[in-house]
Formats: sequence, structure tokens, C-alpha cells
Amino acid sequence: MSANPVPGVSPDSLVEIRDLVIGIQRTRKDRLIIVDSANFDIRRAETLGLVGESGSGKTMVCRSLIGTLKRRSASIFAGSIIFDGLDLANLDERQWRPVRGNRIGYVPQSALTGPNPVMTVGKQLGEAVRRNRKRKDKDVRKRGMELLDLVHIRRPEVVYDQYPFQLSGGMRQRVMIAAAIAQDPDIVVADEPTTGLDVTVQAEIMKLLQEIRSEFNMSVVLVSHDLALIDEVCDRLVVMHAGTCVEVGTVPDVASTPLHPYTIALNRSRIDIATPGAPLVTIKGNPPAVGEWPPGCRFAERCDLVQEDCAVGRNPALVEVRPAHWSACLHTELLGGSHG
Amino acid sequence: MGDALIEARDVSVTFGSGSRAVRAVRGVSLHIDQGEAVGIVGESGSGKSTLARVLAGLQRPDSGEVLFEGENIYQRGKAYRGDKRRLVQMVFQDPYGSLNPRIIALSAVSEAVRVHGVGSRADATARSLELLAQMGISERDAKKKPRQLSGGQRQRVSVARALSAQPAVLLADEPTSAIDQSAQAQLLNLFQGLLDGGLSIALVSHDLGVIRYLTQRVYVMKDGEFVESGPTIEVFDNPTQDYTKKLIASIPGRELRKART
Ligand SMILES: Nc1ncnc2c1ncn2[C@@H]1O[C@H](COP(=O)(O)OP(=O)(O)OP(=O)(O)O)[C@@H](O)[C@H]1O
Ligand SMILES: Nc1ncnc2c1ncn2[C@@H]1O[C@H](COP(=O)(O)OP(=O)(O)OP(=O)(O)O)[C@@H](O)[C@H]1O
Ligand SMILES: [Mg+2]
Ligand SMILES: [Mg+2]
Repeated sequence: MSANPVPGVSPDSLVEIRDLVIGIQRTRKDRLIIVDSANFDIRRAETLGLVGESGSGKTMVCRSLIGTLKRRSASIFAGSIIFDGLDLANLDERQWRPVRGNRIGYVPQSALTGPNPVMTVGKQLGEAVRRNRKRKDKDVRKRGMELLDLVHIRRPEVVYDQYPFQLSGGMRQRVMIAAAIAQDPDIVVADEPTTGLDVTVQAEIMKLLQEIRSEFNMSVVLVSHDLALIDEVCDRLVVMHAGTCVEVGTVPDVASTPLHPYTIALNRSRIDIATPGAPLVTIKGNPPAVGEWPPGCRFAERCDLVQEDCAVGRNPALVEVRPAHWSACLHTELLGGSHG
Repeated sequence: MGDALIEARDVSVTFGSGSRAVRAVRGVSLHIDQGEAVGIVGESGSGKSTLARVLAGLQRPDSGEVLFEGENIYQRGKAYRGDKRRLVQMVFQDPYGSLNPRIIALSAVSEAVRVHGVGSRADATARSLELLAQMGISERDAKKKPRQLSGGQRQRVSVARALSAQPAVLLADEPTSAIDQSAQAQLLNLFQGLLDGGLSIALVSHDLGVIRYLTQRVYVMKDGEFVESGPTIEVFDNPTQDYTKKLIASIPGRELRKART
């Protein structure tokens, strides 16, 4: 085995996620592993994209960053998440309080249902604005309006007193973003924040996140299936497949020299490069379900370049194949030809 | 223009009243022919989901009518009765809210098959598993409840549930927004096959790439009205309205792609 490869050890690292294992303890002896060997860094003031297969564990990794795995019945079994001297993998509920929502903001994936249905927008924003501090009602309302304005909600004074069901999907999502940035956090983890937003609003929200990011020196972790969007707004990206990180690198590096067959295959399925009417390229077979991972590389069965040693032994670890560009493929030499 | 299978004529929907009234849909007309896919795109809050719900028989319009196979569905008490309920299926924008949290994915899908009386229980299960597999959901995942599934898995379950009823019209509100590109390609290939088999689809999506790929005609919505409509390629290549131009210009990666070609 190679000496523990550490993606992105850099003085700019704000968060270091190492060998993170997430799963569900079903009975005393029965564990279902959902994510193993998540390995990547979040650097200061960067926008980091988290992409990959649906069901590969992106949301689980996001939840580990704000300590809400329990709500999905999951927990961390091993590994560490070092953030400013704290190991987020080992915090108790009391220790989480000053971190969650204050230093790390979160836009949940199901923002459509995310907001509490029986609380007005103002009430929910108020909670995000107050957190654990005392603030005058008048100030809370003022800040709430300001936040709604920041996320480009029209008629904030009307929306403030409305219930989520009265808002369109896109408006609800913007309310969730407003709540996530209420405390000027160091990091905003946004799990598909623009899914369901029209492209003009999406572009505005991305611009907004970029603005806040540079103004407050904030890092953004952005989960998205929109690879064109990731290309456009992210500095680096992490590609996940079947519970592991299979590639980590800068956006230009991964775009010009992808180092994992899964990344290459995913790019071939892109709709934005397809011809209307012609069958779309898909990856053959289906991704292995959690609990049914095969030995060795979990992409082997679907990989065009599969070799004899791919489907045996342990799941391959990330290796720094090129400077600051990691891949978990055992045969990156085979990828060389197609993109010099 | 062929014979419209489903048609909305001058439909309006207003929520609330007085100074808080929201005129979500304002005098909109649209038609979908058999075997045709039309797209509905536009601003967030412009009324797309509301319009889809009107077509699905779930939201009675304040004025205007909806015709399915030539018959006004809101004429009498309940919209879509008997077999017609099966023939028009909707995939909701929010898959979480539309799936029963207590039943496993497989049952949700096969129940839809049985409610609509298409085949026996064993048949229904087999067909549902096959449909789910075509979308990349394994048998193991099919046995999970909604909260045990990822966002994209849930989304595909709700599409499978709608399709399992073998509808004539599929009203799909953002059906591919939460899945990876390969799973999306799988789903769109499946849709393409069903279109060839005569299914009609109204596709609401913010992903203009998906709209461009799948639909023949598109309606562009803003503030409850259609500001532009026509053949998808034409509207995308030569938008005439400012709003449509802005929309097309905001497609991510557009500048990048232009630079590459
Ligand atoms: N309670 C549970 N029991 C069993 N499996 C679960 C449970 N919760 C989640 N899973 C599985 O864990 C995997 C990871 O889920 P997660 O939501 O993190 O995926 P994701 O990468 O965010 O996918 P998507 O892009 O679709 O949102 C999925 O395959 C899901 O089926
Ligand atoms: N039940 C309701 N009560 C009050 N207002 C509503 C209700 N449902 C929708 N609206 C309002 O109607 C308008 C249209 O909403 P709709 O959900 O149809 O928009 P949409 O085009 O689907 O938006 P998105 O792209 O964000 O999903 C919005 O202003 C919304 O706030
Ligand atoms: Mg997710
Ligand atoms: Mg909608």
C-alpha cells in the first residue's frame, strides 16, 4: 500500500477529512457501511464541488460536516474531520452547538420540503438569525428581511409572513440559503442548492454565493449533478462513486486530464453535449447498491478498461498521480493515451 | 397540428385574495398531441407547477377549461374518473412529499400498478422491479422506505410509480433534477422509448439541456403567462423575447462550450 495519501495537504486547508467511514448500526453486530474512505480537504475560501453517482454518499458526507447524520439513522464509525483544531467526527451534541449553523451553514438537499411546514418564513429565519443569542424582535425582523433581499426574494415583506406551501419550489430554496448564511459562517455546505431553480436564478444564486464567499472569506462545498455548473463555479472537485472518493483535483485538471474511468464515463453522459433524439450514452450496468459492493474497485464491473487485478482485494485508495491530482484507479497508465 | 390529447384553454388560477392575491396562472392555453413531448420552462414562481397540477386534475382553475380526449375534466365533481385517472399521471417536483414514508419503494410502485388493475400482484411486482432496474434502482434499494433512499433514488421511484400505471400522458415536474448524468441519460432514453410508443409528455424543467434534448415544442412561462412558444430548437436558437434570451444566456457552461467549438 502506498504511504497514506493525503489529498490536498495545504496550508490553506480549513477542513481535513481523513478515512471517514459512515454507516448504520442496524443491530449490535450488523453494520451497513454507506461511505468508506472519504478523503479530501476543504480549503479556505474555495468552492469545492462534490459530484458523482446518485446514492454514492454525498449527502451523508455533507451531513457529517454538520453533525446531523443521526437524522438519517447513520453515524461515523471511523476517521476524522479536523476543523480548526476540532475533530468533528467526535463531537457531542453540546460541542456541536457553536459549530452547526454558526460556523458551518447548511442548505439541505430536500430544500423543497426542508422548511418546517407549520412555521412562517420569518419565524424560521428568525431562528437562524438568533441562534443562541438574545436579539430584539425588531432587529431579527430587519436582518430577516435583509437576508431575503440578499437571496433576491421579491416582496420580502409579504414572503416573511408566508408559510412554505405558499411559495414556489425555487422561493423555498432561496429561503433555505438565506437561513444558511444568516451567521456569516466559515463554510457553507450546499447540497444541490440550485436543483429546481431556473437557470437565471441559479446563475444569480451562484454569483451570490461567490460574492459572499470572497467578501467573508467563506468556503463553499457544492453538491451538484450539473457538471457544467461545477465547471463554471468550482475551484476543485471531488468525484464520488459507491461510497468512496475516486478522484480529487482542480477543475481544469480533472476536465483536461480525468484520472478515473468513472469520471470519464460520467462526462460522456452529459446532456449538454448530446444531439437531440440520438440515444444518450449511459454507463453500462447499474451502480452496486450499498451493502452489495464487490471486492476491489467498485467500478470494475462497469469499466471499459478493467484489468485482472481490478476486482480483487481492497477498494483502491486515492493516490496522488499528478501534482495535487488524486485518483483511486489502479491503472491510470491506461488512461494516458486518449488525453496525452 | 395533430389532434390534441390533452389541452388547456385560457386557464387561470389565483391563490389568496385582496392585496395578497397571487395570480399564479393567467389565461394560458396549451395542447399536447399523442406521442409528443412538450417542455414548460421559465422563472421560478412563474406558475409551471400550478399549471401541471391543473392538467393533472388536482387544481381546479378559476376560469378556463382542460380537455382530455376532448372532454372537459372539471365539468363535474371529480376530475378524471374511472380509467382516465390512470391515463394521466403526474411526477411531483418534490418526490419526498409525494411518497408515503411508511411503504417501501417497490410497494409504492407495484401498488400503483394494481390500483389501476394492470395485471396480478406477482406481475405487478415483477414489472415494478424491472421498471426500477431500467432506471438504475437495484432490488435491494427497491426494498427501502423513502427516508432510506438518496434524493435521486427517491426521484426515480416517483417516476417509476407514475409510469407503472401505463399512462397516456405523463406530467413530469422536474423529474431528473436530482440524479447523476448517467442515471439521467438512462431515464431520458427510457422516456424516448415510451414517446416512440405513443406516450405524451409534458416536461417541466429548469434544465434546458434536458428540454432541448427531449421535447419537440416548448412553452416559456413568466409571471403566469406564456411569453413565447414554438418548436424547441427554434425557440432556443432564435429566442424573440427578452426573457427567453436571458434564460438561454444563463445556461451554465454555455460560454465555455462556445469557446471550445
Ligand atoms: N437508513 C438507510 N438504510 C439503508 N440505506 C440507506 C439509508 N440511508 C441512506 N441509505 C443509502 O445510502 C446511500 C447514500 O445516500 P446519500 O443520500 O448520501 O446519496 P447521495 O450521493 O447524496 O445521492 P443523491 O445524489 O441521489 O442525493 C444510498 O445508496 C442510500 O440508498
Ligand atoms: N397553495 C398556494 N397558496 C398560495 N400561493 C401559492 C400556492 N401554490 C403556489 N403559489 C404561488 O403561485 C406562484 C406560482 O407557483 P408555482 O409553484 O406554480 O411556480 P413554479 O413555476 O413551479 O416555480 P418553481 O420553478 O420555483 O418550482 C408562486 O408565486 C407561488 O408562491
Ligand atoms: Mg444527496
Ligand atoms: Mg415548480
